[in-house]
Amino acid sequence: MRKQVTFVLLAMVMLCIGGLLFAQGGKASGPSAGDPAANLEASLKVDSSVLKAADGQQLLRLSKELSKVPARPANPSALPESNPLHWYDMEYAGWNVKKSNIPVSPKDGAIGKRVVMIVHGDHPWTTACTNGAKKVADAYSIDLKILSPNWDLAVQNQMIDQSINERPDMILLIPLDATTAIQQARRINQSGIPFIFFNTLPTAEAMNYAITWTGPDDFGQMRKLAKVFADEMRARNPGAKELGIAYVQHAPGGSPYFARSYGPLSELAGYAPEVVTLDMQAPGFEADRTMQLVSDWLTRFGPRLKGIFAADDSAQALGIIEALKKAGRTDIVVVAAGNSKIGMDMVSDGSLFAITYQTAEGDGALAVQTAADWFNGTELPNRRDLPQHMITKSDVADFYPPQW
Amino acid sequence: MQRLYGAWDEMIRKKLSDKNSLLSLGDRFRIYILFGVIFLFMSLFAPRFFNTYNLTTILRTVSMNVTIALGFTIVMICGEMDLSIGRTATFAAVIALTLQKHLGYGLSIPIAVLAGALVGLFNGVLVAKVKINSFIVTIGTMTILQGATYTITGGNSVSLSGDTVFAISDFLAKPILPMLPPRVILTILFVIMFHLFVSNSQWGRNFYMVGGNRTTAWLAGINTDRVTITAFVLSSTMAAVGGILFAMESSAATLNMGDNSLMYVVSATIIGGTAMSGGKGGILKSVIAVLSLEMLYTGTILFGFGNEVKIFISGLILALVVLYEAYASYKHEKTIGQRAELLDELAQMAARPKV
Repeated sequence: MRKQVTFVLLAMVMLCIGGLLFAQGGKASGPSAGDPAANLEASLKVDSSVLKAADGQQLLRLSKELSKVPARPANPSALPESNPLHWYDMEYAGWNVKKSNIPVSPKDGAIGKRVVMIVHGDHPWTTACTNGAKKVADAYSIDLKILSPNWDLAVQNQMIDQSINERPDMILLIPLDATTAIQQARRINQSGIPFIFFNTLPTAEAMNYAITWTGPDDFGQMRKLAKVFADEMRARNPGAKELGIAYVQHAPGGSPYFARSYGPLSELAGYAPEVVTLDMQAPGFEADRTMQLVSDWLTRFGPRLKGIFAADDSAQALGIIEALKKAGRTDIVVVAAGNSKIGMDMVSDGSLFAITYQTAEGDGALAVQTAADWFNGTELPNRRDLPQHMITKSDVADFYPPQW
Repeated sequence: MQRLYGAWDEMIRKKLSDKNSLLSLGDRFRIYILFGVIFLFMSLFAPRFFNTYNLTTILRTVSMNVTIALGFTIVMICGEMDLSIGRTATFAAVIALTLQKHLGYGLSIPIAVLAGALVGLFNGVLVAKVKINSFIVTIGTMTILQGATYTITGGNSVSLSGDTVFAISDFLAKPILPMLPPRVILTILFVIMFHLFVSNSQWGRNFYMVGGNRTTAWLAGINTDRVTITAFVLSSTMAAVGGILFAMESSAATLNMGDNSLMYVVSATIIGGTAMSGGKGGILKSVIAVLSLEMLYTGTILFGFGNEVKIFISGLILALVVLYEAYASYKHEKTIGQRAELLDELAQMAARPKV
């Protein structure tokens, strides 16, 4: 017993002495560029617009449709979920914010900067996203370190702390969860390290602490997809007074969960009032579970089910199409969010009607480009959205080979 | 060759049975040695490992899993398994934060801790009284808690904001002594309390007795059912406390926040030397194992390796420890009932020339 306690005390003493003697973490700053003016000049000359994604599309593109931000209702959550303004704080997160303690750009160029990118987890999408980020980082000779917490909040928090400890010039963060992002943002903000959110929209409050946000306008994309979806259902069911649909939802918690079910739901309430929501379920990202869910829907709703809106065009879409094939239901319109190879193949063969153009490489690339722009002293908007496009059979060939 | 192996085997057995031999000490204190080796290696080679900020981060990060491991170790010492710890942590965190909006932390925390304790009571009663295998019971509880959490939250994360909430969060996270934020200090107090309770109290010794041999413990007059139920209540309560403190510091609770704690804590407890068969192990050893794993994880990140390397390394260590435990258990079974001095005498007799 005594030996055990001695061992533990010794260990604690080692930790304490070590910490006190070598206490330089959290204070040192990243390496500075030799001549800031020359570095800025060289950095401004870098032309990243020539970079290409794996699908042959231009890597860096910005949405030309600038969001028209309506006035915020007094209490958005008091409005019904079918009212687009109910989702105001999520959809327009970042536009109307009071920025707090945002660092000022050093305006010394992006070349040679150290940037830490913390993503959400390991996934083929993430690989494509980080590939895009590396392409831009290489163009600017940015030292890019990529960390993945594998969807574990505790690990992501730890990675944020460790990144602060490393004192990089910039942190790029995909928040694991829209709401928990507030504390993560506050922590980075308090450390004085500039940071940018990307890909997943956090809540509006979290955006106060970030320089900006870059990524897909998920709500905007889903509203467009909803219109394409409704048009096709109307075309297949002319004169129908009711078009029953069901939603296969994203994982609960993140912004895609809301954007990909309540975005279309609130859009369809105005655009196609004959569309009726029969059910919404989040079966996860396994094809067999989604197949089971859709099979249950087919039994439960029968011919009333005219369309399915899926949050994912790979595993979820596979499960949906498999269930429809087994039931022999070719009349049901299926659309999905995403831009994977599986999704594109299914659009090509006609089993999926439409998917969204969501460039994974462009997502990562835009985050690094925005960081570079900040180092170069460019004035940044509160949000930088990726372009929106609906991929159907008519133009799917333009997006091959797929990014992931 | 076989004789050579036999001699080697015999030497190892003798050294291990001699409590003062280096081999025996190394075996008993292997987790402390592992801790020291990892700490030294990372301090020397991992960039920016050895500084107050990073060491504070490590201590803050381990707080939740250390708190959960305290109760879980007791369950394992009793020879049982509690697979519901991760979900209990999430469940309690969600309750604490949801009720905070209406009742404040003053009431929401005790209610959430009580909810955790009730989960443990449910598990314990089913295991001790209804005699259902703890593995099955806690898998069931795990699923029930997941459903309950989703029902309470409607599938969304729970978050809090506001100056008071952020002030509490900052208070828990910022060091008030070198490297020691209040959340870490609380965790250290829990560790001391649990260590003293398990090592120095009659109740603590009962856990070992029940885990070592339930029938013998019962014959010795120990209320084995009560001991088992207590172990489960402590496990769930500490899981709840760990989850609540983490959620308070984050001002938010996600629906999967405790999921990874299960594998982490189980691995650390086994690596720390607590036998899955029960009757062996210790609180401090589990704590040091959690700390060692965390240092290893931090080091891999600082070296720039990905999450997959971290998972691989922890899996490898766990596999090696389990393999070693299996070997040690085999040796123990082989020599059970044998007296070393008689075996030596036999060996000497066999070696004597026959007249």
